Amino acid sequence: MRQSVAELARLPGVWRGGELENVVHATVATGHAPLDRELPGGGWPTGTLAEVLHDGVGIGEVGFLAHALAKASEGERLIAWIHPPHVPYAPALAALGVPLERLLVMRPASREDALWAAEQAMRSGACGAVLLWLQGLRSAHARSGARRDDEYAALRRLQMAAESGRCMAVHFRPASAEKLSTPAHLRVSLAREGPALMLRIPKRRGPPLAYPIAITAGWQRRFAVTPAHGDVTPAHGDVTPAHRDVTPAQAGAQFPQQELAKNIHRVRAFSIVR
Amino acid sequence: MLWIALELPALPLQVAQRAGAAPDPLVIADGPAQRPLVVCANEAAREAGVREGQAVAAARALATQLRVLARDAHAEREALERLAAWAGQFTPMVAIELQGLVLEIESSLRLFGGHATLTAAIRQGLRELGFHAAMGIAPTPLAARLFARAEARGLAVRACLRLEDLAERVAELPLFLFDWPAKTLAHLTDLGVLRVRDALALPGDGLARRFGPAVLLDLERLMGRVADPRLPYEPPPRFHGKLELPAEADGVEALLFPLRRMLVELEGVLRGRGCGVQQLTLTLEHGRSQRTRLGLDFASPEREADFILAIAREKLGRLALPAATCALVLSADALLPYAPRSAAWLPGPRENAVDRERLVERLAARLGRDRVFGIAMADDHRPERATGVRPHLSLKPGTQSELRSRGAIAPQVPNSDCVPGFSGVTPVISRPLWLLQSPRKLITREGVPTYQGELTLEAGPERIEAGWWDGEEVCRDYYVATNPMGEAFWVFREHRDLQAWYLHGVFS
Repeated sequence: MRQSVAELARLPGVWRGGELENVVHATVATGHAPLDRELPGGGWPTGTLAEVLHDGVGIGEVGFLAHALAKASEGERLIAWIHPPHVPYAPALAALGVPLERLLVMRPASREDALWAAEQAMRSGACGAVLLWLQGLRSAHARSGARRDDEYAALRRLQMAAESGRCMAVHFRPASAEKLSTPAHLRVSLAREGPALMLRIPKRRGPPLAYPIAITAGWQRRFAVTPAHGDVTPAHGDVTPAHRDVTPAQAGAQFPQQELAKNIHRVRAFSIVR
Repeated sequence: MLWIALELPALPLQVAQRAGAAPDPLVIADGPAQRPLVVCANEAAREAGVREGQAVAAARALATQLRVLARDAHAEREALERLAAWAGQFTPMVAIELQGLVLEIESSLRLFGGHATLTAAIRQGLRELGFHAAMGIAPTPLAARLFARAEARGLAVRACLRLEDLAERVAELPLFLFDWPAKTLAHLTDLGVLRVRDALALPGDGLARRFGPAVLLDLERLMGRVADPRLPYEPPPRFHGKLELPAEADGVEALLFPLRRMLVELEGVLRGRGCGVQQLTLTLEHGRSQRTRLGLDFASPEREADFILAIAREKLGRLALPAATCALVLSADALLPYAPRSAAWLPGPRENAVDRERLVERLAARLGRDRVFGIAMADDHRPERATGVRPHLSLKPGTQSELRSRGAIAPQVPNSDCVPGFSGVTPVISRPLWLLQSPRKLITREGVPTYQGELTLEAGPERIEAGWWDGEEVCRDYYVATNPMGEAFWVFREHRDLQAWYLHGVFS
């Protein structure tokens, strides 16, 4: 008996409640060791839909995946951005190591178009990663009722598409969506606490995560200049900003123009005049 | 030499019914305007008793719902020509005959794996095009034609692959299968010469003296004793096809079936020439003068019917048609060299690039060309000019100006400055992932900027001073600021007015 249960646990998609799934689909490292340890397969899953729940734009919801995105685009695969809240800023992505020439941004006009585009992109196999936002998109056929079921069915289709295209599919949703059930295999909820990004994993193939993980992501990762030093320090995740409590009103007082001039990175405009 | 002859019986009717068969009785009429005669009748008309050669007036009396179409010799000729161009994918030697084609296939047998496979492929292809044809195989083109005609008339024939067997196989064929004048045929019948065997038994010089040299020449050519050269059909370097719908079609779905037939034809034509199309125009004709034009543009030459159909379907789905459609016209002006793709077990970079292009095309077809784009960096220090929207992948140069004129989503940068992966500027502070289209002025409370809560400056300043040379100078100090919810923003203030704060980007 014991032996047959052990055999069962070796089947793909079967795992014990207390352990992480012995994954069959490939994963990519997120570059955050504490997070990777808690994800089945030791990395962000590809070939399946994952959800990132967050409130507020700009808490590092895309930044913490930058490493995984760069990895997923290997083999000349595209990274599709479907209805992002703003147009991604090229220099920032380049700095994060995401290859710009593989980016494909889409601005669908309706919810149906967005879901269709996401499915096409995932299924095609040409995309290494598909990032999907649905907030703020109206349905083309204005119709209410049965929306929740529709939503589940649509996400289920995406899950299938991601599987067939072996694509890293990430759906960004507001934190309130945690109450809704999802066909996604992984759900990560983000919140910012000061300099750290707190991650909870409400759903994964394994036991729910008991405590949140703190990672440093977003702008702090490449934090280089602090007004106090003015020197370029190597970009590292654990540099804490030195002047967290400086309010702009104080900023002027604290750094008079003379002082500022020392620290300012002055752009040499002459070199780029053509 | 081995020839296949394709005989299209009732060609006028086939041309008229290609876009779908009508259930109502239909005849094709030809002849003097005062007394037109029935040339072909469809199944329903035949059931009503209509026969070829009847006067149209008599046919109308037999079938009350009868639809009469005038014969369009030009359309028939065009249909044959396009069919010949389509058949070019099987052999370079295709000649147009009276109501069909002859194809020399001996040189293609190895490629297609024998005549059985080849004929099956041709039959299958014809069915997809919406034609049905009788086929004959023989070592001489004339014999092949006779076999095909015999098959079209329901006579039992066997394919003949070797010249030695030919005499035996053609022996029993009736003489009326030849294109000989009716007078000659009647005369031969009177003499009791009914079959090829009988005619071959007659002395040649006597036959020539009595019925003219053409009859003797045909018999000699039939048996392969005299050369029977054919001029191969040379298709024009463009494609133009028109398909009349059997009934006016209201929706878009009804157009897909006839459209597929045309695309399959196009694919065959392109295959025969080793070409693809990059620009394709589909015109929907609604009644007399109203028409809808639909351009299909591809990143690289394409020819697969199903792929083009999928793109056309998305485009058609977005169209609001002004009226019901009665005809489809498909035209391509330039046929470009096409690099065929091999179906690889492990797709290489080439296949991947093709997959990518196809995906982008599919997406652009439905979402709209200006809603699918890439991103590039430009060589400029001003944050709003350091990024640009790049029409994705290899969309043609025209598209970019189009995009700019429509006032696309983000500021456009000239393509020459847009270098993907360019990293000339190393920012001292990291850049935000989201940049607002234009800076947004923040509300300040006692000198402290707020955005969903009071902002705290975390890092900075980074001074950016550039652009004095083109009149759009910026002179700003950028800071990273966070609000109480932990969202990080990229804010700046201008030197001119140190009290005014602007939000320019959002970190993520």
